[in-house]
Amino acid sequence: MRVPYAANVDVEALLDADAAPWRSTAPETLTMMGTPVGLQPTGYIRTAWTGKKIGAVESVTVAALHTGSALAFRLEWADSTENRDLTDTTSFPDAAAVLLPSTPGSLVMTMGAPAAPVNAWYWRADADRGRHVIAEGIGTSRTLDVELVRGRGVWKEGRWKVVIARALRVDTKELVAQLDVGATNRFAVAVWDGASGERGGIKAFSGDWRELVLDATKLARG
Amino acid sequence: MSELKRQLAMVLDLNKCIGCQTCTIACKRLWTRDEGMDYMWWNSVNTMPGRGTPKDWEQMGGGFRDGQPKPSRIPTRKEFGDAWEFNHEEVFFGGKGPEAHLQVKGEQPEWGPNWDEDQGAGEYPNGYYFYLPRICNHCTHPACLESCPRQAIEKREQDGIVLINEDRCRGYRFCMEACPYKKIYWNHVQKVGQKCIFCFPRIEQGVANACARMCPGRVRFVGYRDDQNGPIWKLVDKYKVALPLHAEYGTEPNVFYVPPLSPPRFDANGEIDESQPRIPNEYLIALFGPPVLDVLATLKAEMTKTRAGQKSELLDILIAYKWKDMFSGFDRDPATIEWKRT
Repeated sequence: MRVPYAANVDVEALLDADAAPWRSTAPETLTMMGTPVGLQPTGYIRTAWTGKKIGAVESVTVAALHTGSALAFRLEWADSTENRDLTDTTSFPDAAAVLLPSTPGSLVMTMGAPAAPVNAWYWRADADRGRHVIAEGIGTSRTLDVELVRGRGVWKEGRWKVVIARALRVDTKELVAQLDVGATNRFAVAVWDGASGERGGIKAFSGDWRELVLDATKLARG
Repeated sequence: MSELKRQLAMVLDLNKCIGCQTCTIACKRLWTRDEGMDYMWWNSVNTMPGRGTPKDWEQMGGGFRDGQPKPSRIPTRKEFGDAWEFNHEEVFFGGKGPEAHLQVKGEQPEWGPNWDEDQGAGEYPNGYYFYLPRICNHCTHPACLESCPRQAIEKREQDGIVLINEDRCRGYRFCMEACPYKKIYWNHVQKVGQKCIFCFPRIEQGVANACARMCPGRVRFVGYRDDQNGPIWKLVDKYKVALPLHAEYGTEPNVFYVPPLSPPRFDANGEIDESQPRIPNEYLIALFGPPVLDVLATLKAEMTKTRAGQKSELLDILIAYKWKDMFSGFDRDPATIEWKRT
């Protein structure tokens, strides 16, 4: 996927999924699939979800923009219910994440591995903010901070529009994705449907890594 | 999982429980008064036979069958009984005098944490019931711990207490599904699972659990499973009169119950039929397994012995002449400790 270079744009402005710069992107629709039940990390989850549909969201439309210093993803998908409220014991939130490899060898299917982590930029509807996550294998995800990743979601007329953004490079000792303008990176997307009880490893994902090319040429001012 | 060095346990003598809920309130006042905890009762006492808390929890599944996890579901707030809001303001400060009565505000509840209190079962003159207090069983094979994809639940190696690490918990609630006893709650404010902590901050200071220490009926014994001088080992292993609830759930609870004896039934002519206990054996077997009949026989034999003037170590333990004898050394006065909230 090509990521246009929107110079002189504040990343805060991009958190509005209807902001003008998003019109200069060419969104791609990714076919989503459920995570395999056999790869779920505990026996209980494997047993309880065998024979149940995993991955309620079947496609996600993705666009991305970078500002020279930050990268923002705009995800849009159909969801008949807005799940932000967690008051009841059985209410789960809608959520989405962009996954990036922290190292050239990091794998999507295993959610990374020791010394080859994956870096998730995560958004959850109840908090409606970003969360910076690292994982070194299934069931190992760990929150690094809730400041570096920005996220905002709006649900309207049966559709979620969510923007998730982060600085291209961040100052941390953790092995997270560090991105460069002009370079080719890779990404994957995951979406959780709260109404279907999706949480943790029970989610829809976009399969193996997809290419992400951050344009070095600035968009013409429009 | 780390190697377990010792296991703390509790024995509850159901013959002494009067259903006063002092344990429930002791726990509530100590642990579940923060935001999001209003509907939580880490300790609950229900009348049996009954539908329990949460409603019909015994039909929900969870735990293990033949060593394999058994699917279940999360009880709803309504099934737990929810937290009702009352018109306290109106009754106490509304200036309406005797006109105002205490009432639940808003939608009228259809279930509560002790909804079927003293209902029991059976027809007059053979009606019967008993009380069943429940906490987290701090299982040897905890379904909650094994279900959690984030390793957020630990079983402490020094005492076997099962705890949820709220820093690791992300609120997925697989533990609430997997626990067959349905003793884990969802805090929607903190967004984490919460449950009985076996009063570990008290235990660490040598003070028995609040539910046990506050019990006016001297129902609860506390101590290590392997302490051969303590009441737990004697009741569970030596005399074998304390049994886990629903052992068939496969989690190996560390809370044990001395099952309730009951008076004989009246027959159709109103005569006492000594051969039939008021609480049907089948019902007790459904709760505590077939060994419950051996337990009742042991208790009756010991009672016969004492009536004949003989000594019974077992009955002396159960009577609990000295409260300190119930707590295996966890009998320090909590008022002598400076408690700090960290």
